[in-house]
Amino acid sequence: MKAFAYVNAANEKEAVAALGTERGAVMPIAGGMDLLGLMKDYIAQPDRLVNVKNLDRTIRKSSDGGLRIGAAVTLGELASHADAAKLYPALVHAAAEVGTPQIRNAGTVGGNLNQRPRCWYFRNEEFNCLKKGGSRCFAVDGENEFHAIFGGGPCHIVHPSSLAVPAIALDAKFRIVGPTGEREVAAADYYQTPDRNLLGETVLAPNELLTHVILPAPGGARNATYEIRFKQSHDWPLAFASVALSMNGQAIRGARVVMGAVAPVPWRSAAAEAALTGKQMSEQVAMAAADAAVTGAKPMTQNAYKVQIARTAVKRAIMKAAGLTVPV
Amino acid sequence: MPSKRKDEPGFSRRTFLKTVGAGGVAVGVIVPADVAEAQGTARALGPGPVPVQLNVNGRAHKLEVEPRVTLLDALRTRLDITGVKRVCDRGACGACTMMMDGKTIYSCSTLAIEAQGKTIRTVESLTQGTVLHPVQQAFCDRDGLMCGFCTPGFVMATVALLEQNPKPTAEQARKALDGNICRCGTYVRVLEAALNTSARGPRAALEGSAEGAAARERAGVGPREQGKDARRG
Amino acid sequence: MPAVAKQQQQQPPAQTPPAQPQPPAQAAPPQFPAATTARWPAPADRAHIGKSIKRLDGPDKATGRAKYTYDIIRPGMLYARLLDSPHPSARVRSIDLSAAEKLPGVRAAIALKGPDNPATSKVMYQGEEVAAVAAISEEVAQDAIRLIKVDYEVLPHLATVEQSMRPEAPLVFEKGNTREPTLQQDGDLEAGFKAAAHIVEGLYSTQVQTHTSLETHGGICEWNGENLTAWVSTQAVHATREGTARALNIPQTNVRVITDYMGGGFGSKLGGDVQVVICARLAKLANAPVKLLLDRKEEHLVTGNRPSAFAKIRAAVDANGKLLAIDAETWGTGGAGQGSNFPVPYQVYVFSSRRQRHKDVYINAGPQRAFRAPGHPQSCFVTEIVMDELADRLRLDPLELRLRNLPPEAENAQWERYFKMGAEQIGWSKRHPTGDSVTGPIKRGMGCAANRWGGSGTNRSRAACQIHPDGGVVMQVGTQDIGTGTRTLVAIVTAETMGLPIESVRAAIGDTNYPWAPGSGGSVTAPSVTSIVRVAGDAALQQLFAKVAPALKVADPSTLVARDGRVHVASDPKTGMTWKEACKLIGTDPIDAPATWQTGLSATGTSGVQFADVEVDIETGVTRVKRIVCVQDCGMIVDKLTAESQCYGGIIMGLGFALFENRILDRNTAQMVNPNMEWYLVPGMSDIPQIDVTLVDQPTRGVIGLGEPPVISTAAAVGNAVANAIGARVRTLPLTPAAVLSALERERAGGTL
Repeated sequence: MKAFAYVNAANEKEAVAALGTERGAVMPIAGGMDLLGLMKDYIAQPDRLVNVKNLDRTIRKSSDGGLRIGAAVTLGELASHADAAKLYPALVHAAAEVGTPQIRNAGTVGGNLNQRPRCWYFRNEEFNCLKKGGSRCFAVDGENEFHAIFGGGPCHIVHPSSLAVPAIALDAKFRIVGPTGEREVAAADYYQTPDRNLLGETVLAPNELLTHVILPAPGGARNATYEIRFKQSHDWPLAFASVALSMNGQAIRGARVVMGAVAPVPWRSAAAEAALTGKQMSEQVAMAAADAAVTGAKPMTQNAYKVQIARTAVKRAIMKAAGLTVPV
Repeated sequence: MPSKRKDEPGFSRRTFLKTVGAGGVAVGVIVPADVAEAQGTARALGPGPVPVQLNVNGRAHKLEVEPRVTLLDALRTRLDITGVKRVCDRGACGACTMMMDGKTIYSCSTLAIEAQGKTIRTVESLTQGTVLHPVQQAFCDRDGLMCGFCTPGFVMATVALLEQNPKPTAEQARKALDGNICRCGTYVRVLEAALNTSARGPRAALEGSAEGAAARERAGVGPREQGKDARRG
Repeated sequence: MPAVAKQQQQQPPAQTPPAQPQPPAQAAPPQFPAATTARWPAPADRAHIGKSIKRLDGPDKATGRAKYTYDIIRPGMLYARLLDSPHPSARVRSIDLSAAEKLPGVRAAIALKGPDNPATSKVMYQGEEVAAVAAISEEVAQDAIRLIKVDYEVLPHLATVEQSMRPEAPLVFEKGNTREPTLQQDGDLEAGFKAAAHIVEGLYSTQVQTHTSLETHGGICEWNGENLTAWVSTQAVHATREGTARALNIPQTNVRVITDYMGGGFGSKLGGDVQVVICARLAKLANAPVKLLLDRKEEHLVTGNRPSAFAKIRAAVDANGKLLAIDAETWGTGGAGQGSNFPVPYQVYVFSSRRQRHKDVYINAGPQRAFRAPGHPQSCFVTEIVMDELADRLRLDPLELRLRNLPPEAENAQWERYFKMGAEQIGWSKRHPTGDSVTGPIKRGMGCAANRWGGSGTNRSRAACQIHPDGGVVMQVGTQDIGTGTRTLVAIVTAETMGLPIESVRAAIGDTNYPWAPGSGGSVTAPSVTSIVRVAGDAALQQLFAKVAPALKVADPSTLVARDGRVHVASDPKTGMTWKEACKLIGTDPIDAPATWQTGLSATGTSGVQFADVEVDIETGVTRVKRIVCVQDCGMIVDKLTAESQCYGGIIMGLGFALFENRILDRNTAQMVNPNMEWYLVPGMSDIPQIDVTLVDQPTRGVIGLGEPPVISTAAAVGNAVANAIGARVRTLPLTPAAVLSALERERAGGTL
């Protein structure tokens, strides 16, 4: 990788101070699980790295009964947090399924939320694609079996974060700090489609940091994440879904249904939510909601199969959230 | 986690000046160090070589490496600690697995500069003289290895598993070892080794079984020193 | 123990007439045993052979002490990196090394494409070597590579077989983008189809697979004057020496190749390779040792692959289940200018007539190389899927169809016996007809397939055995242990021969200073090496017996045996002496017995079968293999433990071929989109099913190689199991969720069965 200078920021203040305004010139390094690979492939070529592992690395109960997760918490720490697992299984299960034990021991919550796409055109230097400032998305008429079935265009990546999807399903907020102070952004507003942001995927400016995931009190919401992957040992999910249901017995009062690995951003389905609200839970109801979730999908030339997989992920996430048995 | 301060090993006026003169970027170095601290800005190290101290297998090592050098490359090429291997260099195969502060990591995806102040254990830490660690012994007994290139990584992952969970279920063991790839296909026997590792303590593997020792005694021939000078026959 | 040779050794030197000066008395030269005299011990007499013996180098590997090529650091060593062409088809117009050469720390830089020479200026696939740099660290070498300026004239390229086969395709390959089709036929095809009760017709295909050895290709080159020592990650030290010397245009005797340990090859490292040649040139230029090893991306691009296979097949069977005819049009790509042939039908089942027309298709991709049983996994897959399809038409148990069409039983044709054994183990009688009717999305299914392979010994193999006066035994043979356990086999056979424990003998391998042995490909190593080691050990032992016999007052040394650490008359174990005492009688110089080939210790021709039990989730298309049953032979088993590991390993590689592995090129740019281990997927721990291996020992048959047979039939068995589970036919590999869902959809629309 290109040589860089390294700043070992001791805290949030030092970290922000060391960042810059030019995209890609100064970059934060958390676990390094994503960034170092990007740098070895020369997709990222920062002049300086700023250590952000000294940001908040705690998981704390909030005064309102919610949970406040520091961005420097590792995926392994989140996956083994008993209280978080009880209240927010959708998030904790997703954390536990990321990568491998070694990745989870170093990879952080903030790093996972901010990771760059896995698209093989983006990750290979030979392809000067739109997202890197080039003129073309190679997936359109190329190898797009793992690309988007919703929301694609002009770039057709799927967003790779496992945590972003349950974060949105759980109505989380992210705390962001920058040189002018701090702000909170709803997780649902954090990710941007390619037509709004081509060179990046989030609202985060180059001199800002995501410091916390703020979860509201679950309020009895039943939530679950269901992932479908092919290779079981270590692979990216083909599609997954996180669902949060507020139920009264078997009656569904409200729902949040979010899909992952199907679009350039986590993809929330109002249609699926409408198909659930006011119904009595059953496999048929879940199936109908899943059908609604994938209505309007726009598959590319190689990824029509993803529609079926996304549909199954939504159905099984709904059933799992409601406590019904689903295949493991 | 402490940041680099003036009184820590590795920081010196020389280092400070080196980073100024390294060419390329010199951000954060325009102001003197103590003023920078007062302003809440930390100093930049590199991009040229900087002093890095690594605690590996109980020994302190002082190196000078660029910030971009991974922990894997620092160990293999600067310290001749080569049990850990480089195979994919992207955190996808586990051949570089070692333990840092008691947890397995991909050392290819860890900067050497960020491994300072941590306790690093590689496969070389497991053997006591010629006495194999029970996990290593189990791998040999069960033939959980073929070409052996993935073996140190698997051994470390197994050691980490058993240190946390001495009696794992098969499912727990599989998940713990999912971060390691073997192209020769030793998984079946690696799993057997992981699930059947003796807790009885290290045994002298190189001396072999009691029967073997008795046979050698009869022949008047000593134990073969395995692996030594095999090239010279 | 040849009686004739012993007599010769005991003859006094020839007498000369007293009038002439007498030459000093000399010991008779050691006599080699006559041909075909070395034998394996009777099965009842075997101390080590056939047992489960632990790998000798296990501790070295498990402790990290083993030094692979990648690990070795030579004094003053430099690190080299290559500049690889990003373009799949181009002409190099110019290469400017100046900026790289000026970078501090760079010690040598060479251009590898010659712009002035049309023969060496063209690039035919992404990854081809264009320039190389050696520097004081890998980081500097890598920085230097990125400073090299290359002016490419980008040329038209071919990314897929479809593009290449189009008549209007640009002529990328001088002699044509495709090769003239070959034709093979036997029997009366027309009559066969006329008599058919059922005909199956379909298009079948398998994908390009890369070897993905964990240790990449390359080596360390160090010159001493005009002599080159190369530590190389290779499966063939002698072939590497020969190829490297030839490429450098230096005498072979100036080159020594050493491979103590290597991290996998699977067929991609069978000879002198370009990385070592480049490395040697850099080392000469820089006057320092140089290490050049490929990175993972380069490894995927340029070190070979298993070609793709496509087959348009028509097959006919009569009402009784007798195979009548198979007509195949096949093609595939081995990349740039390379072949892709594979036999149809796979040569297990007997078809009365057959025809195959095969066309090699070239594309701008890395050239193919031998990959564990070349041609066989592809051939087995397409043939075995057709077999199940024919069985379904007949409403016949697919196992029964196979049993009705096997060749006569022979020691190298045991499929009937193995099919029955495997069927019993997996519970084949519980197999439902095609399409699991259980409710719910998880469907179960079973399938089977057969494999065959050769695996014979190479009769040019050599070895040399030394027995030292202090009792030490060394067996030198210029073979290499690529992870198969060869080092252990050498020690087993040597120890068996000398009647010693395995730890008391030394296997000296992995060095061209040792006698010639073949490269470890084609499953020839075990039969070649164990045979020649037996002969050499026996020859050395006979020399020892010649020294011991007089001390024991035994007239005929051939009545002596070495067993359990003693040397004694065969019929009287209480007599004799210890091994150590015997060796003291050698004198001051060790016994040194070279050996040449003898027949009878090795054999050729293995058979095997595999059964698969799978679970398919029809709502996701995800296949999970639950169990593989393997029944396999390999002639005389030398080490049961390592032989079983070979079977596990081959099966797991077969699972990768079945489900996960695929070298994917962008169809427009011909560049590989997954040259890494994130998207080129090989099985991991949680993907491994229960695997039951039954190795059938043929203890009097001779040793046969086992490296390749176990990889051949796994994917076919899995493919058949998937069809049995889901009630739809998938005719392609890999069996991805997309492929399974697509087959289900086509079945619902009108049938695939």
